[in-house]
Amino acid sequence: MRTRLRSRRALALLVPLLLLLSACASDAPQDTLEPEGPIARKIDNLVNPVFIIAAVVFVLVEFGVLYLVLRFRQRKDDDPDELPGQTHGNTKLEIGWTVLPALLLGFVAFATLATLFDITNTKDDGLTVQVTGQQWWWEFTYDTDGDGKFTDEDVLTANDLVIPAGENVGLEITSRDVIHSFWIPKLNGKKDAVPGRRHPLTINADEPGTYVGQCTEFCGLSHAYMRQRVVALAPDEFDAWLERQQDAADEPTDADAEAGAELFASQCSVCHLARGINDDQFEEAGQGTSELVSENAPDLTHFASRGAFAGATFDLWEDLDGDHIVEADEIGTANGGRLNRGDLEAWLRDPPGQKPMDPVTPDQVEAGERGRGMPNLNLSEEQIDQLVAFLQTLD
Amino acid sequence: MAIVERPTALPELPPGAAVTPRPLGVFTRPQSTTGWRSWLTTIDHKRIGIMYGAAAMFFFLLGGVEALFIRAQLAAPGQALYSADLYNQLFTMHGVTMIFLVVIPLGAAFMNYLMPLQIGARDVAFPRLNAFSLWLFLGGGLFLNSSWFLGGGANGGWFAYAPNTGVVFSPGHGMDFYALGLQMTGIASLAGAINLVVTVLNMRAPGMTLMKMPVFTWMGLVTQLLLVFALPVISVALFLLTFDRLFDANFFNVSAGADPLLWEHLFWIFGHPEVYILILPAFGIVSEIIPVFSRKPIFGYPFMVFSGIAIGFMGWGVWAHHMFASGMGPISVAAFSLSTMFIAVPTGVKILNWMATMWGGKLSFTTPMLFAIGLVTMFTIGGLSGVTHAVAPADTQQTDTYYIVAHFHYVLFGGALMGFLGGMYFWWPKVFGFKLSDKIGKWHFWLILIGFNLTFGPMHILGLQGMPRRMHTYIADYGFELWNMVATIGSFLIAAAMLVFVANILVSWRAHRLNPVSPGPDPWDARSLEWMVQSPPPAYNFDPVPTVSHLDEFWHRKYQENADGKVVRVATGAEAAQPGDSTDVHLPSPSYWPLVLAIALPIIAYGLIFNLGIAAAGGLLVIAAGFGFGYEPSDDPESHHGPHGNGHGDGHAQLGDGHEAGAGSEGEPEAGTAGAAGGETEPVGVASTASATDEPATDAEGSTDG
Amino acid sequence: MADTALHGPVAGEAEHDMASHATSTGISNEKLAMWVFLGSDCLLFGALISTYLLLRHRSISGPVELRDPAHIFDIPFTSVSSFVLLFSSLTMALAVGAIHRGDVRRCRTFLMTTALLGSVFIGGQVYEFTSFVKEGLGYTTNILGSAFYTLTGFHGVHVSVGIMFLMAMFVMSLRGKLGPDRAETVEIFGLYWHFVDIVWILIFTIVYLIP
Repeated sequence: MRTRLRSRRALALLVPLLLLLSACASDAPQDTLEPEGPIARKIDNLVNPVFIIAAVVFVLVEFGVLYLVLRFRQRKDDDPDELPGQTHGNTKLEIGWTVLPALLLGFVAFATLATLFDITNTKDDGLTVQVTGQQWWWEFTYDTDGDGKFTDEDVLTANDLVIPAGENVGLEITSRDVIHSFWIPKLNGKKDAVPGRRHPLTINADEPGTYVGQCTEFCGLSHAYMRQRVVALAPDEFDAWLERQQDAADEPTDADAEAGAELFASQCSVCHLARGINDDQFEEAGQGTSELVSENAPDLTHFASRGAFAGATFDLWEDLDGDHIVEADEIGTANGGRLNRGDLEAWLRDPPGQKPMDPVTPDQVEAGERGRGMPNLNLSEEQIDQLVAFLQTLD
Repeated sequence: MAIVERPTALPELPPGAAVTPRPLGVFTRPQSTTGWRSWLTTIDHKRIGIMYGAAAMFFFLLGGVEALFIRAQLAAPGQALYSADLYNQLFTMHGVTMIFLVVIPLGAAFMNYLMPLQIGARDVAFPRLNAFSLWLFLGGGLFLNSSWFLGGGANGGWFAYAPNTGVVFSPGHGMDFYALGLQMTGIASLAGAINLVVTVLNMRAPGMTLMKMPVFTWMGLVTQLLLVFALPVISVALFLLTFDRLFDANFFNVSAGADPLLWEHLFWIFGHPEVYILILPAFGIVSEIIPVFSRKPIFGYPFMVFSGIAIGFMGWGVWAHHMFASGMGPISVAAFSLSTMFIAVPTGVKILNWMATMWGGKLSFTTPMLFAIGLVTMFTIGGLSGVTHAVAPADTQQTDTYYIVAHFHYVLFGGALMGFLGGMYFWWPKVFGFKLSDKIGKWHFWLILIGFNLTFGPMHILGLQGMPRRMHTYIADYGFELWNMVATIGSFLIAAAMLVFVANILVSWRAHRLNPVSPGPDPWDARSLEWMVQSPPPAYNFDPVPTVSHLDEFWHRKYQENADGKVVRVATGAEAAQPGDSTDVHLPSPSYWPLVLAIALPIIAYGLIFNLGIAAAGGLLVIAAGFGFGYEPSDDPESHHGPHGNGHGDGHAQLGDGHEAGAGSEGEPEAGTAGAAGGETEPVGVASTASATDEPATDAEGSTDG
Repeated sequence: MADTALHGPVAGEAEHDMASHATSTGISNEKLAMWVFLGSDCLLFGALISTYLLLRHRSISGPVELRDPAHIFDIPFTSVSSFVLLFSSLTMALAVGAIHRGDVRRCRTFLMTTALLGSVFIGGQVYEFTSFVKEGLGYTTNILGSAFYTLTGFHGVHVSVGIMFLMAMFVMSLRGKLGPDRAETVEIFGLYWHFVDIVWILIFTIVYLIP
């Protein structure tokens, strides 16, 4: 009996300890308890007291049960026919423990509503980005032509959502195929990306930095490999970045890169666009609509300016400081960044081998059917080298 | 609904007469009550309950193996033990199996077995319909799992959000098996629910008012009413999905103008009451166990009843708390956040009432009691994390992460399953006539408690640290490795604990066969009417149907206030129980039609997927079986019982009317020969006439069939 | 604390007269079961009607002229068939009345009339649907088509099943198996038939009359 009760006690202590431990974990880039933006902080400030109330109730109930178990257990010398007091209830007490929790929850409800409406009514400071999910990557559209709409005429990027730090950035989240969900834990809660609908979400990063998240609504084969990164830059750096993104890509000068550009134009234009490189071929091939169910593949015009690729699953540049996140200062040779050739080559060699997808087969192309994800193009090693050389120039 | 319920004129067949085939039916009416065939044609609620339980435990094994596969894959990041597609099938089928094929039928098992006994009835209102529910559930469950062999299991998650589950994004048959399989199990549950609602409302023993019913029966009634109203909604959702997938409808076709949130709303309007359907029976079980092993009545019976009713009503107003991140407007979010918080109140009341029952009691920690306390302590954790989800802004961080996985496993495993396991230990002697070993039971309990907490406790942390769910792998170096490994170890410990349970059953059964001592009607000194009959109960349940004057009626026959106002024992359980030796109780006859009708539906389902001709054939079989079912009298006129005298008109025959007695009570050696014409079903003869004491039924003729 | 054996309900036992079978509520098992079933059927139609309401103006595919239900429906025609169904509820009630009075023949006649009227209603539905299909509104044409045909189709199936039961009862009556002692059977079926009629009134109002 004793050992049993001791282990019960140990178990009872374990759970709050675990919760405590979780707050102490440091190496958790998606930690919801470590907000790095004002909105996430508001949520955290709301939920921390709730956790504490829950912990108190937990202790009361669990230790209460422990106490009952110890105090009222049938002892060996008890007369088995002697019944304990046959209490049927105590109406006052029961009303009390109905009303009291209700009151307590009333307080929590009030605080919840206050925070909810506060967060919902956050005013955007100017920048709105359209976030579009599709199997299995995120597209970001900046209204660079200022017409109030998000179209193909605007700047399109993928994987890295670049924003100015310290500002409320409004996101309009939608999808082109199934339901996904956009989530950057350190900045805000998540919001589903539903096809046919547009959902607003505001994010705001205290400081420049890189904040990561994953798609959080089951979306099929590569749900685990659909990630997103928010790169917050100082406002002037952001302006410079946005300027640069609007430029078309520079024509490569290096021989390998030139070959790669030609290869890109001939092989990749069915789905991908790099403005300034294959505009005509892209248009001829149907502007990316012919072989994909979602009718869109990532715009690669400034591919090399991003930290990750393939739905932000693979690092494009090496993580030099060992924090498992590719930050802005590790991107680009100009910054001293090192291209992660290995992953990029592996991807080009066999995309479905790297990330489970359902791309079109040649037969399906013939039949006019469409697929999801990037197929294996059976490139030779030389072709892969040329493409890598070319892709590097798309900064 | 049967068109013809009463038999036509009853022929008087002398013993030994051949049984002639019935004019309308292809099949001869089954007669036997022993042998495996008797189980296929039984309409006895007790046997049906046992079969529900056995089937549920089989599916628990399936779902458990699926879970182990999941945990093996997630033990470390970046593993590729099998494909992502298979992983998606595994987690989908694990969820569907555990919810629809384990917890619901386990509830059905207990409710079917116990509710008639607890209200003093001889069976449910529609025994053949009851059998149909069982076989259709089994058929639906096997149909769903046959998908593993026919192209792959369902892979869209148990919640099956559109448009991902449409044909474009889920090609292959997996989701068709899902939709049609659940449609069938839904019909089975609906039929069962109508049956039990009518039974509880209509067939209570004299004197048993609603507020004298045991808490378990009350929770069962609320559960069945929830089923009645929730199942049609998911039925519609599944129809819409099926029509989209099979017939090109546009319900979830966004390019035709659909809004995917329609699926979410329909699903969760069912889905939320569903979780109360899952937990209320276990709450009922615990409400029976704790008073027995505290030796005092449940604290606050009215509050226990009304909190259950409140949960039943309020459960309809919270569904969109599963949709806080779905893009609903803030007003909706606020409303559902509030309603979700307040549903914690009636649930909290129950926890406190259980604790108050234990207070001042004399607690004995038998295995059932351990599991009951396990539910109280573990469900509390799940309930508390649930309250944190109700805080909608916080939920936008929690939803779709492992924090949610932790929550629902604490309430479903730590809650419902613990309750069911405790119930198994508690009622095992009643159902099977021998007790499970308490010693091994305690090993089972502690192993599973530890394994369960190791598996799901750390998931709270994983979720709060940002690990999303429904992913076949997770990001390395994000802090997820340690607790995933711990969870995997815990899951195998759970498996070991369940092996201990199996061992307990085998060991205890063997011990009983070597030394067949009956535990008697009342091994636990319990409180409700099922303990007033022998273990196992006779087929007809009660000798005379008891007249009830108290809540915990059986308890009050054992203990009464003496002259000093002290509650003392006046009879032992064995003394106060019924002897179970009546021989002339009339029971409805077994039947094939429930099985035939139940088989017809999966035939339609296979046909819809593979060959419409087969579906048409299945449809014809449904119509034929429906007519067969309907035209068959609930009592076989061929079955051997003599004239009822003039007692039949008011429903109850008197003794001494020349009834043939037969081997009616215990499922005696079967009347398989042509000579013994259905000796098991006997004329009405429920005990003595106006005697003032409990007299067991005695038969006038005394002859039996063997 | 006597247990009087005479009063306990006997499970599923058929009785000469269901009503005399003592139940705790006073309503027979079969009738109570029908009420509970109809309760659940309310939710079925509730979900289907809600789905229709949500989807009916959301068509963005298929021919433009087939996206607005108002342009497609023929209200006068459907009013007539609705009236026919309504009238069949009257004949159903008359059938129940007849059997209660012991008039087996008249009950039989009214049952058949109800079945015929129901069939006329179904015939009207079939005619209406074929004309819509001829105009181009099929089940898969757009979201309106899917929603409309599904809702009305479920109702039609309910009516058809009812007609089957009516025919079965007619045959039973011919064979002398539906006497006054079985009045409750007719009554219980009447509950179902009236429910199906009420659902149609709802559907007709919501789908056809309210834009």
